[in-house]
Amino acid sequence: MKTKTWLAGCIIAGLAALPSAALADYPEKPIEMIVAFAPGGGTDVAARSIARFMEKHLGGGARIAVVNKPGAGGEIGWTELARAKPDGYTIGMINPPAFNSLVVEGKAKYTTDDFQPIGNMVYDPGILVVGKDSPYKTLADLIEADKKAPNTIVIGNSGAVGSSDHIGLLNLNRQAGTTFKPAFFGSTAPVRQALLGGHVPAATMNLSEAVQLARSGDIRILGIMAEERSKALPDVPTFRDQGIDLVVTTSRGLAAPKGVPLEILAKLQAALEAAMNDPEYRDAAIKAEIPLHYLNAEDYKALIDLISKNLAETWKVTPWR
Amino acid sequence: MIDALLSALPLVFEPANLFAVLLGTVAGLVVGALPGLTVTTGIAVLIPLTFGLDPLFALGMMAGMYNGGSYGGAIPAILLRVPGTPASVATILDGYEMTKQGKAAYALQVAVVSGVIGSVLSAISLIIFAPGLVKLSLLFGPAEYFWVAILGLATVASLLGDDFLKGLIATVIGLLIGTIGTDISSGTERYTFGLLEFADGLDIVVLLSALFAIPPVLMMIEEALKTGMPGDLLKLKRQGSVLADWRRYLPIWMRSSVIGIIIGVLPGAGGSMSCYLAYNDAKRASRQPETFGKGNPEGVAASEAGNGADNAASLIPALTLGIPGSGVAAVILGGLLVHGLRPGPQLFAEHPDVVYGFMVQMLLSAVMLAVVGGLTATRIFGQALRLPRVVLAPVIMLFVTVGVYAVNNTMFDLYTLLGIGLVAYMLDKLDYPNAPIILGVILGPIAESQLLLAMTISGGDPMALVSSPMSMIMIALTLFVLATPLWTVWKQRRRSSVEPAK
Repeated sequence: MKTKTWLAGCIIAGLAALPSAALADYPEKPIEMIVAFAPGGGTDVAARSIARFMEKHLGGGARIAVVNKPGAGGEIGWTELARAKPDGYTIGMINPPAFNSLVVEGKAKYTTDDFQPIGNMVYDPGILVVGKDSPYKTLADLIEADKKAPNTIVIGNSGAVGSSDHIGLLNLNRQAGTTFKPAFFGSTAPVRQALLGGHVPAATMNLSEAVQLARSGDIRILGIMAEERSKALPDVPTFRDQGIDLVVTTSRGLAAPKGVPLEILAKLQAALEAAMNDPEYRDAAIKAEIPLHYLNAEDYKALIDLISKNLAETWKVTPWR
Repeated sequence: MIDALLSALPLVFEPANLFAVLLGTVAGLVVGALPGLTVTTGIAVLIPLTFGLDPLFALGMMAGMYNGGSYGGAIPAILLRVPGTPASVATILDGYEMTKQGKAAYALQVAVVSGVIGSVLSAISLIIFAPGLVKLSLLFGPAEYFWVAILGLATVASLLGDDFLKGLIATVIGLLIGTIGTDISSGTERYTFGLLEFADGLDIVVLLSALFAIPPVLMMIEEALKTGMPGDLLKLKRQGSVLADWRRYLPIWMRSSVIGIIIGVLPGAGGSMSCYLAYNDAKRASRQPETFGKGNPEGVAASEAGNGADNAASLIPALTLGIPGSGVAAVILGGLLVHGLRPGPQLFAEHPDVVYGFMVQMLLSAVMLAVVGGLTATRIFGQALRLPRVVLAPVIMLFVTVGVYAVNNTMFDLYTLLGIGLVAYMLDKLDYPNAPIILGVILGPIAESQLLLAMTISGGDPMALVSSPMSMIMIALTLFVLATPLWTVWKQRRRSSVEPAK
């Protein structure tokens, strides 16, 4: 598959970059983009799409080959990225907060300082949802039901233990004094189905995974775990609107190993920014309901550090593993 | 619905879009036939390439890739005893036996005709039932899925082979392998020996290749050493016509397709389960169940019809609710989104021409498969078998190692492949069947995690497992599957005691 991707990259790069004549010295050979998840997943599709546009904006016939190194919840790929030569020819996708929580748990063979962020692409907040026929109309209803019968309400979880969903629920329990129990479904499709079929009373997942069902009225979002409301669903309140300071979002961004020469970092950052502003890319992303949110290297680093700090605090009070 | 269908037809039959379906079908055949490359990977690579193209061109390629790849897996399964895709394992059981008996051409013909019939019926059911069938899948919660997995495990009874005890041991080996990895509810690692590479359990593609590809390669080498360079046992001449024998296969095609469609609609169960259930059903219904696994073409027909019927049906919940019925459907969902097609009930109202066009393309690619897969592919891939064994063995080994490496891009998987492959070779020599192993690996973790979920949701009340009508139906089916072999044995004993003279 590597060869295939490479070939595909060649063809596209050949077609897209024919006119640009000025050949800068970087990149002189194909850039490897490590994806720590399997082909076909959200991160993989995001990587393959942005790679195509970054090739265009790097110019000079630049090629980016996406290489999947899945396993252990991303740890295999991220460890490899951390250990890669910092010459700008190995970059990769990172997914905070999962990326950070492995470090906070003391499990990872890397630290967040082993990376040089290039920029953030996607910012997808967590949400709490119920089915359309649920008796819980608002967040307050659900919290009240829990207070009446503690330890009985099960919330479907789109991830595993330690996922951003799980951490969101732990924080909710801590801040609202509730006793919701998570049921781990491992991925989004099964928990969405269980929610629609009424097998679980409520569920947590990411906003982009529920926008369509919320719009069609099949599910009701009780709260978004973000600082502000979503442009896609302006009527849906955040947790902050309802008096609970709960902010848990997942992000997808690009990073290189620490120590990449500054001029190469600048080129990569500029290419990412230009790719994200490319009308064709923006158009496709908006159609696909991908919540794009560009942050430059500096801002992305600050975000990653903030996520680590919050996670460490949660870990101290309620270690999830 | 008829209006939407009619307005979509001209778009589907535009030359460019027709070509896209054809291109996808051929590419799918190749991807499916190469061990290690899965349809999921093929479509994942395709999506970014089709970014700026017309939606129906892109979707046509995906539809072709899906049906083509799903059948492609049967080619090496029949000719080489190497499953091209996880779903083709059940096809090996009788398909490779037929090749050994010199009936490879007939086996391939049965496979392609059955696959086409399954895919066509599946595509038709997609077009007709899409919104209605979704209600069925919503009835399945964790408790119901637990029983589906148990039903699948019960079908092991029909895969055990001649030696009951060895079959059970093989199943337990599979269940034990299935426990390797990280438990998603507690984060506890089991049997990973501290290796990151084992944290998600053994990769199913690696395991399949090790169990099914390595032993035959080693046997080929062994044979070549003993006999030098034997003449080819393969005759790819016309060996009867499947269509002429349609009366024999019709009931199998119908039942297997229904099974495939139902399993396809249920998210999470996926292709390999529908093949096993269809295979088991055909064996159960047969008058000579003992001929299954020994080169009975009905086994190939059941497995491939079930496999094909799974395809379009798994798109039903994907298109109408955004819930993919299989890994491939999940990737296609991503492909739809890239083209601005938001799955859900409104999809059918907002973009009827594209949705109906896509569904017609699923049907079209199934029909094209009959032409492309039947004639061309069989001839081309069949040539592989004409190679002398001393050449063929390393060629297969090459394909398998490249394919396995491509899954995770890591050497670790190749070491695992070799290690498990050697063990599998020994098990093969000792006459342990390997199909029950793979079934245990696939179904064990499903049964465990769904049981755990059901218990979490019910607060530990075991009655939750039997409370819904759907659970009861699954339990009844399981008992039925388990009782059938006993009933046959009892009947045989009775017959032999009634007619002792014979």
